[in-house]
Amino acid sequence: MADHHVIIDNLVKTYPGAQKPSVDHVSFSLPRGEMLALLGPSGCGKTTILRMIAGLIAPTSGAIRLDGEDVSSIAVYKRNMGMVFQAYALFPHMTIARNISFGLEMRKVGRAEREERVRKALDLVKLTGLGDRKVSQLSGGQQQRAAIARSLVIEPELLLLDEPLSNLDAKLRDEMRDEIRDIQARTGVTAIFVTHDQDEALSMADRLAVMSAGRLEQIGTPREIFDRPQTEFVASFIGAGTVFEGKVTEHGLAMVEDLKELRFVGDAPLGSPVKLMIRPHRLRLLTDAGQPNRFSGTVEHIVYRGQTLTLNVRCGSRLLQADLPTHAGMLPERGSTVTLSVAPEDVTLVGQVSP
Amino acid sequence: MSAAATAPTATSSTSAASRGILLMLLLPGLVALVITFLLPLIWLLRASFTSSTMSAFGGGDLTTQSYSTVLFDPFYWRVTWNTLVLGFNVAIFAVVLSYPIALFLARTESRFRGVLTALAVAPLLTSSVVRTYGWMVILGDRGVINSTLQSLSVTSGVIKLTNNSFGATVALIEILMPYAILAMLSGFGRLNAQLEEAAAMLGANRFKVFTRIILPLSLPGVLTAALLVFVLAISSFVTPRLMGGGRVFVLGTEVFNEATVTLNWPLAAALSVMLLVLFSSIILLYQRALRALEA
Repeated sequence: MADHHVIIDNLVKTYPGAQKPSVDHVSFSLPRGEMLALLGPSGCGKTTILRMIAGLIAPTSGAIRLDGEDVSSIAVYKRNMGMVFQAYALFPHMTIARNISFGLEMRKVGRAEREERVRKALDLVKLTGLGDRKVSQLSGGQQQRAAIARSLVIEPELLLLDEPLSNLDAKLRDEMRDEIRDIQARTGVTAIFVTHDQDEALSMADRLAVMSAGRLEQIGTPREIFDRPQTEFVASFIGAGTVFEGKVTEHGLAMVEDLKELRFVGDAPLGSPVKLMIRPHRLRLLTDAGQPNRFSGTVEHIVYRGQTLTLNVRCGSRLLQADLPTHAGMLPERGSTVTLSVAPEDVTLVGQVSP
Repeated sequence: MSAAATAPTATSSTSAASRGILLMLLLPGLVALVITFLLPLIWLLRASFTSSTMSAFGGGDLTTQSYSTVLFDPFYWRVTWNTLVLGFNVAIFAVVLSYPIALFLARTESRFRGVLTALAVAPLLTSSVVRTYGWMVILGDRGVINSTLQSLSVTSGVIKLTNNSFGATVALIEILMPYAILAMLSGFGRLNAQLEEAAAMLGANRFKVFTRIILPLSLPGVLTAALLVFVLAISSFVTPRLMGGGRVFVLGTEVFNEATVTLNWPLAAALSVMLLVLFSSIILLYQRALRALEA
């Protein structure tokens, strides 16, 4: 931790006149070359954190350390960080090459070296030969690439991206997602990006920091976040699912309301309360008897989605959502009774269980 | 962005029928323009070619007599020169003084922004005659400035601040500033806080952000404001007349003199045409400059 490249230490931001802090004692750190996603619903404080790291707003308290040095009092223009804005913020009165060269001019880099580095930056983002274009002559995706080139050409300590894909259409978004990941890996720059899109966060980031109401809920790899959510918020924000509360009655078995008993994998002491989550795509239609975790219920609603079939099954007072693969002969009717099952290892144990 | 992308396809698919409807909708405006603008203009041109000895619009032979007066009498060259100098001075000072105000209004995130904008242009609610008299109270021989300086014994005599082109320039600058502010505000569309932030992230300090980002992006607005103020200044009549005390000769006052005092309507018409030519050349220059800026 202490030798991490970027350390965010107890960062707090309370806007003047606000009752509650927008960012409330948030701490996390990144090793060099890591890509971290700040994920959360709008208004959770993720953009505020990004802007504090950038130096665009001043933190109320806390420290931002780069290689151990607190940069939180350094002016924004001396911080040497690259930022890709949501709307790209390319300078409309300059060509693409001049946009990219701007940071180098500010650093008084000589003309020949500037041209060379701009050319390399254009190559890196696959905009070779488009340096003379005006900003308005580029498509959304190309503008995005130019913005990335502009922020990387200065060889920043840290690359910050604010909702980098939100202004692109769906197809381009997938393409740029891989592209950004690739550029980041090739340059080896430490990067933090803000998003509210869980798919984006899961697929692009080495680790995710999930935020809610100004607080850091959990930080971990995509797998950890998805399969071992520490809080109910994380469990429900990342992926869908139904949460059941219950009590552990024997090792790996809990009594939960509506489903009677639910087997799970994980350490939870006897008698302790647990929250267990069943994700829709982990449910199966029961074929052979004798499996654990069987629930029978009435199909209340069916949505045919092509590849999957979404069933809403009433089990007791709860609605259980199941995403089932579609294949011939598998089309339960509304009102019919089905039996669903889930493997114990596919039941998500929510939160840390206190002994 | 998407609206801009769909707009051309919408117009290209406009059918002949709807184009007809568009023409019909334009017609009342066109007719009004012809009656109130084009016809009087033609009349003015016609009047400028009539003989000064004839009664105002009495017809008679066409003559270029008024134009030779305007073009060969050194007095009118001086008047034209005075007018241009007044216009440039007023335009430059009004723009320089309005620029910080407009920039502040365009960039502020204060919730009082609307109120502040309204306050900045509120002087337009008062007649420029009243505001000119206000300036006479301030700058006059026994006005606020002179009496203060005298009671403080800074000066013994009177500093001539009115009845000269200085007074006219000062009053015009203040009177035309709200127009400059409005023109700049509407021309500052490309300014955007995020561009400034992006420049700062790239290492530009506040001075560099201003010279490299804010200033170039606000130039179209500045140019529009300068043009508007210049045009309004060279065509002004009331303020130069009152503040100049009859000693400031510009095209506006001369047109008035010829038309109402000397009753030489053809000469007044010729001077008006001169003013019109000045306007057109300035607007042409402006469009050239604007295109150069946006290229």
